[in-house]
Amino acid sequence: MSIADQDQVLDNPLSGISTLLDNVLPELSQLLPSLHKIQHELGYVPREAIPIIASKLHTTPAAIYGAITFYSEIRLEPPPETEIAWCSGPACRLKGSENIKRALEAVLDVRMGQKTPDSRLGLRLVQCDGTCEQAPLVRLNGRTMGNLNVSEAIKLGRDLLAGQQA
Amino acid sequence: MSTYEELRQQADEAWREWASPARTLIKIGLATCSKAKGAEDTFEAIRDEINARGLDADVAITGCLGLCYAEPLVEVHRPDGRRFLYGDVTPEKAKQLVDAIAEDGVSAELALAVIQGPDVPGVPRLEDIPFFAIQERRLMADCGTIHPRNIDHYMARGGYEGLARALTMTSEEVIKEVLDSGLWGRGGAAFPTGRKWDFLRTARGEPKYILCNADEGDPGSFVNRNLMESNPHLVVEGMIIAGYATGGARGFAYIRDEYPICVERMEFAVQQARERGLLGENIFGSGFSFNMEVVRGAGAYVCGEETGLIASIEGLRGMPKIRPPFPAQAGVFNKPSNVNNVESYANAPLVLRNGAAWWSSVGSERHKGTKMFSLSGAIQRVGILEVPLGISMREVLIEAGGGVPDGQIMKAIQSGGPLSGIIPASDINEPLEPEPFRDRGMFMGSGGLIVLDDTDCIVDLCIYFEQFAEDESCGRCTTCHGGTQRLVEILRRISNGQGRSSDIDHIRLLADTMRYANCVHGQAAPTAVLSMIRFFEDELKAHMQEKRCPAKVCRALICYEVGEQGPNLPKAEAICPTNAVVREATAYRIDQEKCIKCGACKEVVPESIQVLDAYQDVVAILTPL
Ligand SMILES: Cc1cc2nc3c(=O)[nH]c(=O)nc-3n(C[C@H](O)[C@H](O)[C@H](O)COP(=O)(O)O)c2cc1C
Ligand code: SF4
Ligand code: SF4
Ligand code: FES
Repeated sequence: MSIADQDQVLDNPLSGISTLLDNVLPELSQLLPSLHKIQHELGYVPREAIPIIASKLHTTPAAIYGAITFYSEIRLEPPPETEIAWCSGPACRLKGSENIKRALEAVLDVRMGQKTPDSRLGLRLVQCDGTCEQAPLVRLNGRTMGNLNVSEAIKLGRDLLAGQQA
Repeated sequence: MSTYEELRQQADEAWREWASPARTLIKIGLATCSKAKGAEDTFEAIRDEINARGLDADVAITGCLGLCYAEPLVEVHRPDGRRFLYGDVTPEKAKQLVDAIAEDGVSAELALAVIQGPDVPGVPRLEDIPFFAIQERRLMADCGTIHPRNIDHYMARGGYEGLARALTMTSEEVIKEVLDSGLWGRGGAAFPTGRKWDFLRTARGEPKYILCNADEGDPGSFVNRNLMESNPHLVVEGMIIAGYATGGARGFAYIRDEYPICVERMEFAVQQARERGLLGENIFGSGFSFNMEVVRGAGAYVCGEETGLIASIEGLRGMPKIRPPFPAQAGVFNKPSNVNNVESYANAPLVLRNGAAWWSSVGSERHKGTKMFSLSGAIQRVGILEVPLGISMREVLIEAGGGVPDGQIMKAIQSGGPLSGIIPASDINEPLEPEPFRDRGMFMGSGGLIVLDDTDCIVDLCIYFEQFAEDESCGRCTTCHGGTQRLVEILRRISNGQGRSSDIDHIRLLADTMRYANCVHGQAAPTAVLSMIRFFEDELKAHMQEKRCPAKVCRALICYEVGEQGPNLPKAEAICPTNAVVREATAYRIDQEKCIKCGACKEVVPESIQVLDAYQDVVAILTPL
C-alpha cells in the first residue's frame, strides 16, 4: 500500500477499513487474519475498526474488543516512530535485562508499554523469540541490538532522545 | 497428477545442482537467530563482493544448523566436493572470506569445520566439534544444509517417502507403526502419539481436524522454530500422515506471532505441497484428500494450551476451554480434532519412512527416539541440538554446551518453561527423559534448558516466572489469576527483604488451591516456587531471614557505593541516568535516594564502585523461617 493510499484509509477510516476486509471471508474464524491485516496496513487497529470487523464477522463489538485486548501483539494505539522492544525473556533476565529496563525508563522518562508525549519514542515489552544468544537484547524498529550492557542502553536512549539514531 | 516416483525423479535432478554444484556454492544460514546477528547483511556483503570481483560462484540461503553461538554461519561448497563451514562471519569478515574463496584456499582463521572432503590442518571436522559430537541428528539432519523453500531438496533427501508409504497401508497399520515406535508428544505432556491418533480415528463426526501446535510459547524454548525455519516440509508431511491415519481432512498449523519467518516458510511449504499434489484432493491417487493452512497467533501464551489454541483458531479469545469434551470428541468448530506439537508431527515422516524399528533404535531403556533441546542462559554455547532421549544433562550442557562462562559456578538448571521448575546443578548427571523431572515435581518439557550460575538469583527468576504466569493467565479461573497474583505479591515481598515466616506455608496452600484451576497453566504455575522451596532453601532463607541476596540481584537488598575514590569516577557521573553519582568537594558519593540500582556506574568504573548488601547491618532482625 502506498503512502497516499494509507492517507486515504486514515482520512476515511470507515470505508478504508471495509476495503481492507474485502477479501476476508465473513466468518468468525477470520478474526486473527482480519486483525493482522488491519495492523499490517495501519500499524495498529483503530477503535473505529471494531464495529466494522464485528459486522463483517457477524459478532459483537465487545467480542472484537475483548479479543484485541487479549492478544498482546495487537495494538489499539499507533506505534511510536521509533520503538525499543525490550525482551522480557529468561535468558535476558538472567543477564541483566531488568537493569536495562530501569535505565531506559529513567533516560526516556516513559514506562514500559508507553511512548513519549510526542510519539517519537516508545518502550515495548516483547517475549523471547529464541535469539537468547544475544541476551540481553532490545530491538530497535526490528533490528536486534544484542549483548547489550546497561551503559550502552543508556547511550542508546540518550542518542535517540537527541535524535541522533533512527 | 504425478506419482511419488515422478516427483522424486524431478527432485533428484534439482538436488544434483545443490549437492554437486558446478561452481562454488556459498550458503548463508538465514533464520531468526542468524538474522539477529546480522546474517542478512553478511549475505549482501558476500554477494556484492563476489559480483564486484566477478567470481564464478553462487550465493544462496539455507536454514539453521543450530549453532546460534557461531552465527552468522556460511558454508562454502566447492565444485571439487570440499565443503567448509565458517562461523561468526560478520559483514566485515565477508571480504576476508571471499579472499579465501578467490584463492581456492581455506581461511583457517575463520573456518569452524570441514563438512566434507580431506582434512585441513587445524580445522576440525564438523562431526567432531563438541556441539555436534554428542548429537543424533535425524529431525535436524537437513536443517542448515537444504534450502528451506525448496521442496525438491526435501524430497531428494527422502521427504514425502513416508507419506507415500503410509498411503499404501491402512490407517490402523499407520497408527500401529507410530505406536510401535514409542513416539510420545514432544510438547510437554509426553502422551503417546499413536494413542492420541487412535482417539481421533475412532471419533465420530466430520470433518476431522489435524492441529499443529506451533505456539512454542515457553520462553527459552526455540526448537520448533528451528524445524519450521529450516525444514518446514517435515512438519507438513507429518500433518498429512496424521490426517491419513486418523481420517482427518483439514489441518491448521497455529504459529506464534513472534515467529514471522516460520509463518512465511510454512505458508510457502503448504503452497508448494499443494502445487505438487501432496495436499489437496486424491493425494498420489490414493483417494485420500487433505488440506491445510497456517494460522498466525497474536501474542498469548495460553494459546499454546491445546483448547486455548482451538478457541483462538475459532476466532474467540484464546481461553482454554473446560474439559470434557476433549479435542478428539469436540475440538475446533466442535469437530473431532487432534493437537500435536511441531516436533511430534515432524517425527511421523521418519517413523513411516524408515519403520518403527529404526526409529526406536536410539534412546534409553524407557524412552525411544531423539529430542531437540535449546540451550540458553549461563552457558558458553547457546544453540539448538538433537540428542537421543536419556542422554545425561552433563553431556548436553557441559560437553556440547561448554558449561557456564569461565570463572562462574553452575547453580541450577531450568527446564520446561515457566510452568515448570528449577533443579540444582548437582542433578547434572540425571538423564534427559521425563522421570527425573517428574520425580522432582516438574516437567522435562518441550525442549528449553536454561542454565543459571552463581551470579543469578533463584528468587528473581521465580518472580519472573510468576509474573509471566499472572500476565498470561486467561482470567477464567480465580484460582489461577488470583493465585498467580498472590504468588507474585509474596515473592516481591521476599525479594524486598520483607519475607514473613508464614510465607512458605501460604505458598504451599496457594499451590494446593491452584491445582483446582481449569488448565495446566494455573495448576502448574506454582511449580518454580515449590522447587525453590525444595531445592534452594538456603538462598530463600538468606532473602527471608538475613535480608540478603547472595547473587546480589534483588534490588532492595543491595546498594551501590563509591569504594575507593578514583580518577574515572567522572565517567560514572556521566553515565548515571538519574544523576545519583554526585561530587562533593573532591569526593564522589552515591545519592541513595536517587539511585535506581541499574549498575551502569559499576560497569564503567568497576574499580571504584562496589555493590554492598543493603541490609548488612540489620542482620540482627532475624525472623525464623
Ligand atoms: C499454558 C500452556 C501452554 C502450552 N504451550 C504449548 C506450546 O507452545 N506448544 C506445545 O506444543 N504445547 C504446549 N502446551 C501443551 C499442549 O497443551 C499440548 O499438551 C500439546 O500441544 C500436545 O502435543 P503433543 O502431544 O504432541 O506434545 C501448553 C500447555 C499449557 C498448559
Ligand atoms: S487455569 Fe488459568 S489459564 Fe487455564 S483456564 Fe483457568 S484462568 Fe485460564
Ligand atoms: S546504579 Fe545506576 S542509578 Fe545508581 S548510581 Fe549507579 S548508574 Fe546511577
Ligand atoms: S530471553 Fe531474550 S531472546 Fe530469549
